[in-house]
This record gives sequence, structure tokens and C-alpha cells, in this order.
Amino acid sequence: MNKPEKPQPPAAPEIERIQTAQAAWTQQLHAPHIAARGEWKTFTTQAMHWPVKALYTPVDLAATGFDYLRDVGFPGEFPYTRGISPNGNRATLWTMAQVTGFGRGEEWSKRARYMLDQGLQGLILEHDLPTTNGYDSDNPLIAGEVGRAGMALDSLEDLEHAFDLPFDKLKYLMSVCNAPQPVNLAMIIAALEKKGVDPGQFVLHIVNGILIEYTCVGRYIYPPAHGLRIATDCFEYIVRHHPNWQPISIIAAQLQPARANPVQEIAFSTTIALAYLDAMLARGFDVDTIAPYFHYVINVDMDFFEGICKLRAFRKVWARLMKERYGASRPEAMKLRYMSSPSTTSLTLQQPLNNIGRLAIMATACALGGAGETMTTPLHDEAHALPADEAIRVGAAIQHIVAHETGVADTVDPLAGSYYVETLTRHMEDEAMVEIDRIIAMGGALKAIENGYFQRALGHEQYARNRALETGERKLVGVNHLVLAEEKKEIEIWRLDDDMEDRQVRKVRELKARRDNAAVAHALEQVREAARSGANLVPACLAAVKVYATHGELCDAMRDVFGVHHPDSQTSGV
Amino acid sequence: MSGAMQPLAAEAIAGKVAAGARLIRWLEDGDPRGRAALRDLYPHTGRAHLIGITGPPGAGKSTLVDALVAEERQRGRRVGVIAVDPSSPFSGGAILGDRLRMQRHAADEGVFIRSMGSRGQLGGLSRATFDAVLVLDAMGYDRVIVETMGVGQDELDIVGLAHSTVIVNVPGLGDEIQAIKAGLMEAGDIFVVNKADRDGADQTLRQLELMLHLRTRHPSGDDWQPPLLAVVSTRGEGIAALVDALDHHASHLHDSGGFEARLGSRSHHLFLGLLRDGAARRLMEQALDQPEIAALVEAVRSRRIDPYSAADTLVARIHLQP
Amino acid sequence: MPQRPIRVLLAKLGLDTHTVGVTVIAHALRDAGMEVIFTGLKQTPEMVANTAIQEDVDVVGVSSLSAGHMRNLPRLAKLLQEKGGGDKLLVAGGVIPEQDAPAIRAAGYAHIFTMGADTREIITFIQDWHARQETTAP
Repeated sequence: MNKPEKPQPPAAPEIERIQTAQAAWTQQLHAPHIAARGEWKTFTTQAMHWPVKALYTPVDLAATGFDYLRDVGFPGEFPYTRGISPNGNRATLWTMAQVTGFGRGEEWSKRARYMLDQGLQGLILEHDLPTTNGYDSDNPLIAGEVGRAGMALDSLEDLEHAFDLPFDKLKYLMSVCNAPQPVNLAMIIAALEKKGVDPGQFVLHIVNGILIEYTCVGRYIYPPAHGLRIATDCFEYIVRHHPNWQPISIIAAQLQPARANPVQEIAFSTTIALAYLDAMLARGFDVDTIAPYFHYVINVDMDFFEGICKLRAFRKVWARLMKERYGASRPEAMKLRYMSSPSTTSLTLQQPLNNIGRLAIMATACALGGAGETMTTPLHDEAHALPADEAIRVGAAIQHIVAHETGVADTVDPLAGSYYVETLTRHMEDEAMVEIDRIIAMGGALKAIENGYFQRALGHEQYARNRALETGERKLVGVNHLVLAEEKKEIEIWRLDDDMEDRQVRKVRELKARRDNAAVAHALEQVREAARSGANLVPACLAAVKVYATHGELCDAMRDVFGVHHPDSQTSGV
Repeated sequence: MSGAMQPLAAEAIAGKVAAGARLIRWLEDGDPRGRAALRDLYPHTGRAHLIGITGPPGAGKSTLVDALVAEERQRGRRVGVIAVDPSSPFSGGAILGDRLRMQRHAADEGVFIRSMGSRGQLGGLSRATFDAVLVLDAMGYDRVIVETMGVGQDELDIVGLAHSTVIVNVPGLGDEIQAIKAGLMEAGDIFVVNKADRDGADQTLRQLELMLHLRTRHPSGDDWQPPLLAVVSTRGEGIAALVDALDHHASHLHDSGGFEARLGSRSHHLFLGLLRDGAARRLMEQALDQPEIAALVEAVRSRRIDPYSAADTLVARIHLQP
Repeated sequence: MPQRPIRVLLAKLGLDTHTVGVTVIAHALRDAGMEVIFTGLKQTPEMVANTAIQEDVDVVGVSSLSAGHMRNLPRLAKLLQEKGGGDKLLVAGGVIPEQDAPAIRAAGYAHIFTMGADTREIITFIQDWHARQETTAP
């Protein structure tokens, strides 16, 4: 009675069934639609110019060889695609920071006190261009620049005044002074000593990012190989003497405005990090001790998915490099720690209110891709005016809106599993690894800087992206789309304050007349000797700043030994 | 015709920088005023030591010139530099980047640096380069250094222009033997391995030494033995020795009469070149005046006659007019 | 047929090291058939003036994104006059506040291009100026 069961043919694997169905859909629905209606443009990602298809399905993922456990995994686990915390933003939100221009000279101290009174625990100490380029305020070359982009730092005296601060409230200080890093580090250490600050109860974070200066920022002094040695000296000094401090930041966010595309941004910044890491390993440290010190700052630009996938691929690439290439075994050594930020590159001078919309979208992308430990928002009218209270307030509000009103940060890595996001993440990872291997084959980041590879690649991108704007291939509202006729463009910048510059010049000249100049000469010779012998430069600089050798004098002493970096047509980037 | 000197020429001879710079511009642009000025300048030339720097792209020529200028200035000499960069074959424009590496000398009134585009002269040094050298010579620069692109014919052309030709090489450009063009081994007066702190420098030096040993004599029959020097331009290492060698070569040329002879040969070449161009221009004018030109052009176009025969037909009819 | 490309010097004065704008303009001018010379960074007005004279450029374009422009731009114009380069077209670009513009123009700058100016606008400005020079030249 019971018919014997007919043997069922084994079901085709799911992927094949989807493939068959997709082929039918393409033939019956999609292709005829395109034939009838056309498409209004060629679709590509903005920076990479990768073709964007109309539809992504499991077929695309399968084509990349996607494997969930290997490619994505779980939050807090290798390869950290879904983030380095097991619970995303659910224990605490990212730290919402606001980086603003910070006054000048001795006004810094006043402003810093105000911010500490507002409950902030961390500050950023930025210096003026003469300082970051290694000149004293009385150098005739730099007239007009003293105290403008930040604080003028000529001698320990300046920091003694600036550090008139409640250090019971100040727990974290970030300092940006790359080329003269050992001088700057020595001055801060000496000033903290004078103020009786316990270095164990306080975190000094130095950016120490000289290799990116050669690549695109331009505030370099010495030839690149010496720049790397100097940075390594500072790195080593901190690891040995103040292991709770932060000796390095890789500011990928400086490569991005120089028009690095996401693949270049990952590859250039990662190989730059590897150059510092290699230098530390060569000094006898191991990767599990050193890798956790690396910290990044990463921007997200307007292409939403490029930005999100860049953050996901970035974490994966770092984890894989540390584990597979460097043999790291501690998870801490594989986790990419960073601060994220919307980029200023796509903010427009025209119709500045539109930038609030852009910032909100980019901040959302940061949150979706992983905001990192901290997020900071630039100001929507930064190109126009001095940081205004209103702009600062809106910048902070944007982050709160993203965090509290949208729900994008409520579940971990919510876009994981999207066919498009996973395909793009994987593609970005693969291309970044290819580029990283190319740079490593070239001899690493130092060689890529010395032969101009990084600089030329960025120059090429700068021109290509500008052309895309001018030909209208890329639309930017207010610039080449929905342009307002007769828009008033009012720009304000710091006004010249000759008095302030004159006072600073007098101050350093008086110091030079008053101090023990024999002791200074001796100390400077010790710095030259350390530069020549290869001994760590920080102790020699520390001894010199304590007898009030000036910033410019110390930089000159190193110039005597290292020489000065003069880029040529291959390495200038222009 | 004769009489007052072209005013800019007089100013240039007096060393006025703006005047010399403008003359070079005229000569480079083919402005007829340049010719007139050159006539006045010419008697004031022949004093400068003309140094050619050539070698493949990537050899660090600009950096070497920068270091050379610094050393020559140390020794109190005024230096002119002409640096040639390729022009874009598509737009005719160029980014002339050699100067960038020498820009620290921009505040030094004893140094004159001029960047030149090859302007379609990819096959060799342009006449404008020769002319610019004459201007700098007449302006009283003690040394005039020409940095070539290091491609094509210009490496050999420089030999006909300079008193002393420095051939620059670097380790790691691949096949070293290939890196030195045929003829340059014989024509070089001084051989330099730049970036001598790099891996492979010893090997490059050894190879060059061997090649120098095997090289045949200079075409002029000169018995000068070219020195081989290792330098690191970025640090100025070996540059004093290079300037010593250049000075030594200059006195060798003075002693052997070669200083004038090389100049003479240069003028001779220039003269022949000008003669060729001028004669060709006049003959062309005549040829284009021939009544049957239009018919011949049409015949070539419609393939009734081949271009060679058509040209021969016309050339046969041209007569030099007395 | 002699080629007579327009020659342009692009200069950075002072310690401002932003080069994206200069890079883009240099490439655009080259592709428009001009010969472009870049001074590099950290130049003094003296260095730029000497360079402009030696290179006998038609145009000097100064990019300024720092505070020193009110000192450096007029000084460069004055030096060019003194050294016999008064016939060159001087233009500035970058971040120059509107209230400083009259003083910069009075110092001899024919035009101030704001940040992000279209390179085609810059090319046309230079070419138009050059064409007027050619027709008025002796």
C-alpha cells in the first residue's frame, strides 16, 4: 500500500539555486529594464573608482571566497572586522572629543584652565609653525608666524608658564611636534618635573609622526632616515621610562586630505607603522610589547560605504599583519586602536550650512564602521572663520544625535552580512594587502618616501580627483552643483598681532643673554655627540633643556649632524 | 647694421641677471631679437669652464649639481646652471623639477639657475641649450653646468657642448653595462658613482673600472685618463674630490690646448648646424616657389608618384642663386 | 616653428606647507601647454624673486595658506620691481581674507584666486593676459 518513497534528487547547493534565479532575473527583468530606461551615470565608488553594480547577492560574496568565520568572525576576536570590543558601544559610547584651534602663546594656559574647569580631563597642545619646523621665535625667516597655529615653544621657560595648570584635573595631554620630537618631549618631561607631576598618574601622548610629514604634511627638518631614527629614540625612551604613556600615533587622517584613496590610506599608514615597529624590534623589543602602543587617527569621507568598509578592512589588515607576518600572540597586539573623524576634504567653503549635513552623514558612517575609542568632529565653517562657539556646539551635537537618536550604535557592526558591505570590505582588504606587499618589496615605507613613491602617488590622486570635480564627473553641492550665484565668501583668520610676536622674540633673546651660556654650549655638544654616536637623543636633549638651551638651538645642533631634507622633483609630490 | 650694442646684451655682459634671463628666453622662443643680441655677446664668451652632467634618470643628477654648486661657491666661483627636463609630448607643457633640489642657492647672488623644457627636442639637446650656455658665459659665470635629461641623444650631445663631461651612475639601476650608452664610455671625462652608500656600489665601481680600463681613447686623441669617483651627493661626500677632478681636467685642457679645441669644435658644430638650417630654409623657400609644386603634391596624394621621386624632381630643379 | 610656451613660477612663501592646491594647478598648467617651475616649500620673498628673474617666467603664482601673507606678498612684489621683473603677472591664491585683498591688489597682484578655484579659470586668466601682452608688445 505504501508506495516506496521515490528517491528525491539531492537539492542543488543554495548558491547554485541563487545563481540560477539571478540569471533568470537578469534576463527577464533587469536587462530589459536597462535596455528600456538606461542608467543616468556610470556608477563607481568615489575615491577608488571601483565599479558599483546594481545588485549584490550571495553570489558576489561567494565569488570572493567569503568565509564568515575567517573574514568576519565575532566582536573582540581576530580578525576584529566587527570591532575590538566584544560588546560594541553598549558598555560605553565612544569618547566624544572636540578638537579646536587652541589660541596661542601664554593664552594657551588660560584657555586650558577654562576647559579643565568645564570638566575636560584631556588637552591637545599644538605648536606654531616655527616650533614644528625647528626655529626659535627670533629667527628672521619666520617673521609673522610666531604663536599663530599654536603655542610658540622656544625654551623650557615657555612651558613652565603654560603648565600653570591644575594637574590634579589634567590626566591626559596630547602633543603634536613631529620633526623636533626629542626636544619637545624633553621640554615636557622637564616641565612636568618642575611642576612636581607624577608621570605615572598622567598620560603624555606624543604623535611622533615624522614619516607622514615627509609623505604629505611637509613639516620635516632632517633627511627621512634620520627622522625615523629620531622618532624611534622617542618611542624607545617612553617605552623604557614611561610605559603608561603613548609614544606614537599614525595619523592616516593626514593622508586622506592629501587625497590618499582608502587603499592607499590603509597601505601607506600601515607600512609607516611597520617602519616604526621594525625599528623598535631592531632595538631588541618584541612585537607583543610594542604593537599595543600603536594608535591611529582615521578619517571617513563622503562615500558612505567606502568609509565604512575602510574601517572594517583597516582593522582586519592590522590584525592579520601583526598575527600572520609579525607572529604576535597577544590579542592586544592585533587590535587596531583609533580615533575616528569625519573628513574636512568634502566640506565646502560655499554654502557652509550644507556641511552640517555632510558631517552628520560622515559621523554616522564612523559609528557604523566603528567609531574607535574616540570620535572628533571638525567644524562646519572651519574654512571661513575662527572657531565660533556655535560651530563648536553643533559639532558636538552631531555626535550626540548619531549616538542617541539614530540607533546606529545600538548593535555591534550592524552592516555585517550586507552583500555589498562584505564584498567591498573584502575587496578593500585584498587590494590593501597587495599594495602593502608592493611597498614592502620596495624596502618599506622609508624607501617609499626616499624614492618619492608615496608623494607621487598622492600627487596623481590630487590631480585626478580635482579633474573629476572640474569635469563634473563628481558632483559637490555648492561647488559644481546647485551653485549659488554671487555668494559672499568671507574668510577670517587670526589677525597679525605684532606685539605678541615682539614679546616672544624679546623673551627668548633675554633668556639667551641671562642663562649660563657655557653650560648650554656644553649641553649642545652632548646632543651633537649623541646624534653622531647613535645614542638615544632624549637624555641629551633633556639635559640641554634644563640649562635652557632653546628649541631652535637644539634643532640646529641636530641639523649640524643630520643635515637638512631637500626634496627633489621625485620626492616633493608636486 | 653695426654700431650700438643690443641694449640687453650690454646689460647681460655687465652681469645684470634680468637681462641675461630675458636673452635666454628670446633665444629659447626663437625671437629674432635673440639672434641680434647673440652677435654682440659672442666676443665675450669662451671664458667659462663648461661642465656637462649626464646619466640616466634616477641617477641623482640634480642633487649632484646642487652639491657641486655648493662646493664651487665655497671656492669663490660664480656658477650658472642649465637644467633640462622633458616637455610633455601631448601638451608641450612641462613641470620643470630639477631646480627644486637646488633651490637653497636661490638667495645666493653668485648662482644663476635656469630650467629648460626639451620642447620637442626629445632626440637631443636643443640649440637653445647651447645658446643659453653662451649667455651665461658672457655674463661672467666662471662655471656653467648643464644637467641633461639623460635620455636619448642628449647624453652624447652634451659631449659636444662641454669642456668636461661627467657621467653619473648609481648602483641598482639594473644592468650597469646597459646604463652607459655606446660612445659615452669614450667621451666621458669624469665618471661618478653617486649614492655610493647604497648596496651594490662596490660592484658598480668595479664594473666601471673594468670598462674604463678597456675603453678606447677619446675621439680627439686626448691622453686624459678619466678618474672614477664615488660620491654621496645628499651628504656632500666626495664632492670636493669631484671639483678637484674638474679643475684638474680644466688645467689639462688648458695645457694640451684642448680647452680652445673643444670650444672650437663646439663652435664648429654650431656653425655647421646653423648653416644646415639656414640653407635648408632658403632652399625650401625656393622649392615651394616652383610652379609645379601643387601638381606634385596632388600626384603624391593620389599615389601617381611616390614621395621620394617627387622630392627628387624638385631638388633637381633648385639652383643656388649667386 | 618656434614653440613659445607661457612660463609660470609657482611659489610657497613662509612656513605654510600645504601643497595639494599647488600640485593640482601645476599639473593643470602643464596640460594646458605651460612650463611650470615650483619653488618648493619654505621660501623667502628674496628666493622667489630671484627665481622668477632667473627663470624669466611670465607669471608668478603665490600660494598662501598661512598668516604671513600681509608681510610676504607685498615684499615679493617690491623685490620683483627692484630686480627688473616688474613686467610679470603676479597672482595669489589660497586663504586670503577679503579685507586683506585691497592691500594685496594694491601691491601689484592682478588677481586673488580663492581656495578651490577652478583650474580652467586660472588657465584662462593667464592665457588672456598673455594674449594681451603679445598684442601690445613692440
